[in-house]
Amino acid sequence: MFRHNTLRYTALVLLAAGALFQAFTAEYFGLEILTEILILAMLVLALDIVAGFGGMVSLCHGALMGVGAYAYAVLSTKAGIALPVAMAGSIALTGAAAWVIGAIGSRSHGIYFIMATLAFGQLAYSYVFEAPLFGGDDGLGGISRLDLSLIGVDLNNSRSFALFCLATLGAVYGASVLILRSGLGRSLTGVMHNEQRMRALGLTVWRVKADVFGLSGMIAGLAGALAAQHIMYISPGLLSWTVSGEALVVVILGGLGTLVGPVIGAAAFVVLKHELSSVTTYWHLVVGVILIAVVMSRANGIFGWIEARWGGVFDRRLADATRKQEPEEVLTDA
Amino acid sequence: MKRAILAALGFATSFAVPAVAEEEIKVGLLLPFSGVYASLGNEIETGFNLGLQQFGSETGATFEIAREDTEVKPPVALGKAKKLILQDQVDVMVGIVSSGVLGAVRDMVHGAGVPLIVANAGNDAATGGSCSPYITRMSFSNGQINRPMGTWMAEQGVKKVFTLAPDYAAGRQMIDAFTETFTAAGGEIVGQEFTPFQKTQDFGPYLAQAKASGADAVYVFYAGGEAISFVKQYDSFGLKADLPLYGSGFLTSPLYVNAQGEAAEGVITALHYAPTINSEANAAFVAAFTEETGRAPSEFAVQGYDAARALIEATKTGANDRASLATALRQVSFEGPRGQLSIDPATNNIIQPVYVYETVAGEGGLTQKVLAQLPAEADATNGCEMAPDSN
Amino acid sequence: MAHDLGFWTLQALNALQLSMLLFLLSIGLTVIFGLMHFVNLAHGSLYALGAYFAASLAAVGGYWMGFFLAPVAVAGVGILLYSGLIKRMRKSGPMAQVLVTFGLIFVLLDLTRIFWGDLALAIDVPTLLGGRLTFLGVEYPTYRLFIIVLGLAIFGALAFVLSRTQIGAMIRAGVDNDAMAACLGINVERLFFIVFCLGCALAGLAGAVAAPLLSVTPDMGLQILIPTLIVIVIGGLGSLKGAIAGSLIYGFVQTFGAVLAPQLASVLIYALLAAVLVIKPEGLFPAKG
Repeated sequence: MFRHNTLRYTALVLLAAGALFQAFTAEYFGLEILTEILILAMLVLALDIVAGFGGMVSLCHGALMGVGAYAYAVLSTKAGIALPVAMAGSIALTGAAAWVIGAIGSRSHGIYFIMATLAFGQLAYSYVFEAPLFGGDDGLGGISRLDLSLIGVDLNNSRSFALFCLATLGAVYGASVLILRSGLGRSLTGVMHNEQRMRALGLTVWRVKADVFGLSGMIAGLAGALAAQHIMYISPGLLSWTVSGEALVVVILGGLGTLVGPVIGAAAFVVLKHELSSVTTYWHLVVGVILIAVVMSRANGIFGWIEARWGGVFDRRLADATRKQEPEEVLTDA
Repeated sequence: MKRAILAALGFATSFAVPAVAEEEIKVGLLLPFSGVYASLGNEIETGFNLGLQQFGSETGATFEIAREDTEVKPPVALGKAKKLILQDQVDVMVGIVSSGVLGAVRDMVHGAGVPLIVANAGNDAATGGSCSPYITRMSFSNGQINRPMGTWMAEQGVKKVFTLAPDYAAGRQMIDAFTETFTAAGGEIVGQEFTPFQKTQDFGPYLAQAKASGADAVYVFYAGGEAISFVKQYDSFGLKADLPLYGSGFLTSPLYVNAQGEAAEGVITALHYAPTINSEANAAFVAAFTEETGRAPSEFAVQGYDAARALIEATKTGANDRASLATALRQVSFEGPRGQLSIDPATNNIIQPVYVYETVAGEGGLTQKVLAQLPAEADATNGCEMAPDSN
Repeated sequence: MAHDLGFWTLQALNALQLSMLLFLLSIGLTVIFGLMHFVNLAHGSLYALGAYFAASLAAVGGYWMGFFLAPVAVAGVGILLYSGLIKRMRKSGPMAQVLVTFGLIFVLLDLTRIFWGDLALAIDVPTLLGGRLTFLGVEYPTYRLFIIVLGLAIFGALAFVLSRTQIGAMIRAGVDNDAMAACLGINVERLFFIVFCLGCALAGLAGAVAAPLLSVTPDMGLQILIPTLIVIVIGGLGSLKGAIAGSLIYGFVQTFGAVLAPQLASVLIYALLAAVLVIKPEGLFPAKG
């Protein structure tokens, strides 16, 4: 089960303070980067719930985010549905799609699950790429942001939009903690550690997996709807499997199964990407090398490393918490 | 850690550039330097820099260039365009290879009132329904370079044609434009297939269909890696003898025609440029480009070259900020390697001659034999309603 | 459009040719998985490397030099990868392996861009295999027939080695239960090493063979990866039978889909894959029951 401890609280407070500081002081491009980080953070939280606490390593979360983005864009621009309804609809639709994927994939484990999710992601990608309704390779434009003028907020202002995304990320984080602490979340972690035992205890394992995957999909869909509003333009590349791969990279870079870690990972990844790409067009090479180094180092990402090194200073109980979340134990159930 | 990220963020945002000197024009170069069109981006940039070198002395203005990589991803490109416009405060933007990227940045460019010189993307709508007084195209439109070929082929006695192109907007626009004039001139389209874009590596199934269709000739649009594979596979099936291959000139672009080798010999295509155009302006350009890179320039290079030339012509009128540059760019007209160029005031699209050429074996590899120069024609306005000019 | 028998024969040959190319790629990937439980996402990048090596070697010593030496060169890269990365990742879970090889894709992609540039390369078909042959009543490019024959020959050779030779028995024992095989005195580590290198060499061979047919571009490895993964997931990870069956299914669905239902061509194969995952999550011919 997910537990907070002093170190995690400290990290959260620092992250929130840093984001707020950035939101109020940054210039235009700094705000763009901040918003990109916040939206990516939502996506990787969704991924950490299923991968870090359920052992369901998904290679379709990028595609799910894309489904959310396209659903929002099509509902709002083509079907003319009111923006808040389009947003709710895109979240529900993505959740439903994810639930189905979770249900079908529930019988697969390890690499088979990874391949199954990859297949469903590519199915969505191919469909969107081909379908004329979605604008094909050229994508879709003219997407509007939510109208919050009732409470005096203009989301077309970059700063307001960044703050709006920050508030949403806070809510998503809270919801993730609630999901993991609920009966469902505890069952999920039970299934990850010993599926046979949970089944023997009378648990409907596939339902647990499908439900959590569906909830995670809703978060991914929300991230997608916000991404569509942020860029105000979407293209099929959003659903490409490499986006899902990058999301996994971010989770690993930050620290699998820590919730806080992936958020740090998102910030590190986006900043790294922008800094490197302004220096060289070969920035993928550097990211690849860093990724290999992080995974080979066997530390659980940036935050896992911090916890292992300094966790004890903050909190004695943490020693147990980290030991329970060693990635090796979690991941060898193939 | 936290502090490091903040520091990095602060670093990323501290690029804001101090106010520039009066005569210095800040140019944002927005091209793909990675991804599938990286070679096109590099080619256009080489041409652009060469243009600045050749004609830079004609104007009093100097140019400072900020270059950004679109990665051929529309959302990334839009982010970079916003950065150039809002943070770097560029006076003018040059570039854009893919139509998807052009579609993504169009509203931003139009809304901000920043002139954009399009150096490749050929989407008809960009100088049609979604045209803008701020977007001037120095490259081509998809319809423009295919329309004359329909009439020309019918005149050469080709009666029945099978068409093939990748299944995306540009592919469909090119084929539609050809089909329109070809059927109007009495030709017949006996079959038409659109192949999954960027996912088709084996054209065998489609070639078998073309062969079975009973056509006299095949007309296609493919570019880049797909063009190389297509031409080689077309030849390997032995179709060239009975079923001559025609197409839009990107099929046998000088940029990669040597990778196609003998398979490209005899292919007849139409385009707005071929390095063998016989004119003084072209000879000078080819010589300068060959000295720089060791090979003949492609249509992409000339587009970059002429984009630079257009920018210099505009500054010669005294234009030095966004609004005046936008107005001046719409009125440029000069004799370049491609021949006499001008901008259509109704759509801001370039008006240029189209060349039909055959790829033939030459001394140092393959070369282009120009068969015909078809007269320059302006595109129909396609729903373009240009806001009245400010001057 | 009504088509005659010749048309369908031609399409069947096209399908077979595509299948054989995919077979060369998927067999290495799947046997490595069967033996080592290791999925190498960078397998497609090794294919691209094979094509680039072949293009460079062909420029120096002609097609056949590329054909024979490119697989050796790629196997050399495989040795480096194995001793540098893969060996240490053997005991990690599938996610760590997927991520390391995901990172490797980007490293190898950018390295090919640095060494060979962004411009597409190409090699010519060797004169021996140029032109066309009449086969089953249709005229078909000799080079494509060569790919079909090569694929079938390698399938035959591998089937023979796996079922009739001592090393084949050792590999089968390793796939069944590597711990037990090690107890019986089989040097499992060495076996892994040999199989990994062979898989890399076959990927390199596929690249060298594909190069004259397609264009050699930096992203060709990424393009081929997804079809290869589909093949081994449909066929069942780890088995020779699965690899050949998956390749044939992919080749025929893709080719005939393009002719009969062009609008659905690219979605069709994923729908089939989804169906397989629903009905038989472990693929049609999994290595183990």
